[in-house]
Amino acid sequence: MLQQDSNDDTEDVSLFDAEEETTNRPRKSKIRHPVASFFHLFFRVSAVVVYLLCEFLSSSFIACMVTIILLLSCDFWAVKNVTGRLMVGLRWWNHIDEDGKSHWVFESRKESSQENKTVSEAESRIFWLGLIACPVLWVIFAFSALFSFRIKWLAVVIMGVVLQGANLYGYIRCKVGSRKNLTSMATSYLGKQFLRQNTGDDQTS
Amino acid sequence: MAEAEESPGDPGTASPRPLMRDLKAVGKKFMHVLYPRKSNTLLRDWDLWGPLILCVTLALMLQRDSADSEKDGGPQFAEVFVIVWFGAVTITLNSKLLGGNISFFQSLCVLGYCILPLTVAMLICRLVLLAGPGPINFMVRLFVVIVMFAWSIVASTAFLADSQPPNRRALAVYPVFLFYFVISWMILTFTPQ
Repeated sequence: MLQQDSNDDTEDVSLFDAEEETTNRPRKSKIRHPVASFFHLFFRVSAVVVYLLCEFLSSSFIACMVTIILLLSCDFWAVKNVTGRLMVGLRWWNHIDEDGKSHWVFESRKESSQENKTVSEAESRIFWLGLIACPVLWVIFAFSALFSFRIKWLAVVIMGVVLQGANLYGYIRCKVGSRKNLTSMATSYLGKQFLRQNTGDDQTS
Repeated sequence: MAEAEESPGDPGTASPRPLMRDLKAVGKKFMHVLYPRKSNTLLRDWDLWGPLILCVTLALMLQRDSADSEKDGGPQFAEVFVIVWFGAVTITLNSKLLGGNISFFQSLCVLGYCILPLTVAMLICRLVLLAGPGPINFMVRLFVVIVMFAWSIVASTAFLADSQPPNRRALAVYPVFLFYFVISWMILTFTPQ
């Protein structure tokens, strides 16, 4: 039974894997772009670390604030323009057409048969872990700054929430695709989990 | 989100976006603000990196050297940020409510980039203040700030005015006037102590 469950876990369709057919393809688990992976996490984690340790690192509030702003900007640019494309093959941008109307474009790279174009599972995990964990942290910091009345940090924290939340939102929309509705995706995922839990319970009982 | 992009040809190849292209685009927009002429560069390929750089620079220059290290200019830094971004967002919302056909980020881009003349004015004011206070000092700063304020207004209306119907132009330009006036006021009344 345990063997069965662990097999199910490795073939598990994670929340952000909308294409069912790719679970049958062998996924590489080595990291193909170590530099990109490193920088994807480096800027985000450094911004959080500097925010938490600002009192110990420097006596100047301004220096900390400017450092965090710089790290958040570098992180935004790197994740939007480099690491998303290299690590998971997704990209999103804004396009202004001739009439001056603005469109948001969300694209995902087609899975090709070439070896070096498939998405590596380790990189995908690193990418999504970094992408989701940090905005959640910044939201927690926002509430803590608000309730502990450290208002002067609120500008930086809100900037962190906005920039990292924007990347998160953009990449989730890329992954889900423009046709699927996000709520229907979430419902189908929850339904699947519920079903698996019930059938698992039936098998174990 | 921070920049618009023209997709380079084949959508299947998701290669990383070159950094130099973005840096050159920011530089080009700065040039367009300094020499305003009718062009679509600020509007079509908008980006918010220039406004961020200008905002941080302005906020850093508006710091007072305080003897007390505990209140070391934190609130003033955040204050400049809030004024600039909140003001720009409010003007954009106003322009959209008046029926302008410009997108949210395009308007933020134009307003942010047109702070460049005022940032230059701040730099000049800080240098002039090194010579010591006095009425001539003040007249020089006043003249510089007025010139740069007019430059900002001209540059931003050159880009923004076309997006409004003709009978609403004054209504859309007035908040821009107020926005740059507040920033000019902060620059003019700045004293280092």
